[in-house]
Amino acid sequence: MSLKLANIAKRFGAFTALHDINLRARPGEFLALLGPSGSGKTTLLRIIAGLEAPERGTVYYEGEDITQLSVAERRIGFVFQQYALFKHMTVAENVAFGLSVRRRRERPSRRAIKARAQELLELVQLGELGKRLPAQLSGGQRQRVALARALAVDPKLLLLDEPFGALDAKVRKELRHWVREFHDRVGLTSIFVTHDQEEALEVADRVVVMSNGAIEQVGTPSEVYDNPVNAFVFDFVGESNCVPVVAADGHAAFRGRTLDVDAFGLRGAGALYFRPHNVRLGASGDLGLPATVSAVRRREGRVRAEAEIAGLAEPIEIDLPPDGAPSPGQAITIVPTHAHLFPATVAHAS
Amino acid sequence: MAATAYPRRSGQLVLLAIALGFFVLFLLAPLIAVFVEALSQGIAAYGAALVEPDALAAIKLTLLVAAISVPLNVVFGLAASWAIAKFDFPGKSLLVTLIDLPFSVSPVVAGLIYVLLFGAQGWLGPWLAAHNVQIIFAVPGIVLATTFITFPFVARELIPLMAEQGRDDEEAAISLGANGWQTFRKVTLPNVRWALLYGVLLCNARAMGEFGAVSVVSGHIRGKTNTMPLHVEILYNEYNFAAAFAVASLLALLALATLALKSLLEWRYGVHGKASS
Repeated sequence: MSLKLANIAKRFGAFTALHDINLRARPGEFLALLGPSGSGKTTLLRIIAGLEAPERGTVYYEGEDITQLSVAERRIGFVFQQYALFKHMTVAENVAFGLSVRRRRERPSRRAIKARAQELLELVQLGELGKRLPAQLSGGQRQRVALARALAVDPKLLLLDEPFGALDAKVRKELRHWVREFHDRVGLTSIFVTHDQEEALEVADRVVVMSNGAIEQVGTPSEVYDNPVNAFVFDFVGESNCVPVVAADGHAAFRGRTLDVDAFGLRGAGALYFRPHNVRLGASGDLGLPATVSAVRRREGRVRAEAEIAGLAEPIEIDLPPDGAPSPGQAITIVPTHAHLFPATVAHAS
Repeated sequence: MAATAYPRRSGQLVLLAIALGFFVLFLLAPLIAVFVEALSQGIAAYGAALVEPDALAAIKLTLLVAAISVPLNVVFGLAASWAIAKFDFPGKSLLVTLIDLPFSVSPVVAGLIYVLLFGAQGWLGPWLAAHNVQIIFAVPGIVLATTFITFPFVARELIPLMAEQGRDDEEAAISLGANGWQTFRKVTLPNVRWALLYGVLLCNARAMGEFGAVSVVSGHIRGKTNTMPLHVEILYNEYNFAAAFAVASLLALLALATLALKSLLEWRYGVHGKASS
């Protein structure tokens, strides 16, 4: 009921950025638009904000058509990838900007604006830094100022474009938790764009996986991770291995060897996808993929082994418990414990 | 090894001597000569040469021309660079090239263009004459020629900076409810203020110093259509060296003041640029 996109399409010259996008955001939810670069996720976010006009389609907010409304009329908070803080204004002036540019009749008093800016800075835990210039803040602090500034206009919706993109790895993880917790505290419907699946899965309530200007799947992090609808989603939301198989008689077979994988009614050529941790080592007689270990690397809590399978160009990566892990050169049988079979023709080029 | 890492002292000295010698010979000596010649007949003669009615008229006209053409070019320059840096439109690269035209065309040709257009024998000449409007050999022509010559200075300074800054700040301002004018005044203008000042300075220096184009359209009417550079030439041709150099010294002072301000701005600009990166 909150935000609804109906048949949104957008072209840039000959390039189709978005094909008929239909999407709903529920009130109060944190939605992630996830996809590789060029998938149209940022364009979609900008269309929701009103910074870009769609070629076709309608944007509804609370059932009302807002497609023709300007950015300002939509009352949407937008946090830019590089934050776009005004360099020549102090942090407090940045946060107060949205209130101070209001028409005189609607503008609060100078003192009220100042108080509101301070209140927002305290909300993002930067109450002490109002007099600083943006250049004197760290990346994470700038991000929080950008958030406070966007909230000053009492937006109905908060949009964030690659909110963690400009930060280094450590700050990124911290801020991820902080933003999620902040979202829950403020209770605003929020949509953010990211190309990082880990970020999307960890922060969002629901993930919208996009590629080539279309939505591939919408679902909770568990749904898209555990039950991806196609090979692209499977490959994009996590680490994956792909083995070409042939499905017959309800079972998938790799080069004539039947695997212990249900074909789910699929017939003919297919691609078998499984994640590195969804395997076990079988005995030599088991139904599995015969492979030779080529490298073993220790990781936290597990061992990552690379195994070569005759007839496959790329080695398979598998995670195993450190106890009894095979050593390089050893012949093993890989039994996927949880795998997905997709028709071979659907395999997307990413 | 040491020789390559630390060039020998004598080599350094030779280079320094060449550079300094060149500087003294070609820049410092002429500058000193201007002031020495200007004061050669005493400070009283110097003052008299400057307050003489024709000289005063030339100074006034130069100030007037700069006072009109510089603000015009600030407006044109801001508009052009704003359009080029922040929007996409067909013909954008053509516009960028056209902005550079005054730099690539000889000033004399620039002046002739206006004579061709507005002169008595020009395309619009008969119409202008019928309506009693004089452009060539009058102040409007001088303003037009100067504005043309100085057009690129502001735009050239602003376009690269605005393009580098992108549209994010403006979009942020608009998303926060600012209208176009507020966005320009509170966000775009402060972002480019040092570059704009720098452009204005260069534009002004050229507007006051322009000779070629102005010479073609001015008509050299003493006390009426002579700017300072033209006045210097006339005085010089009349062998009135002291007076010529007195007026020239004013132009030289203007150049020095511009340089000083420019250095000051570069310093501020640099500090500002570093802080914001």
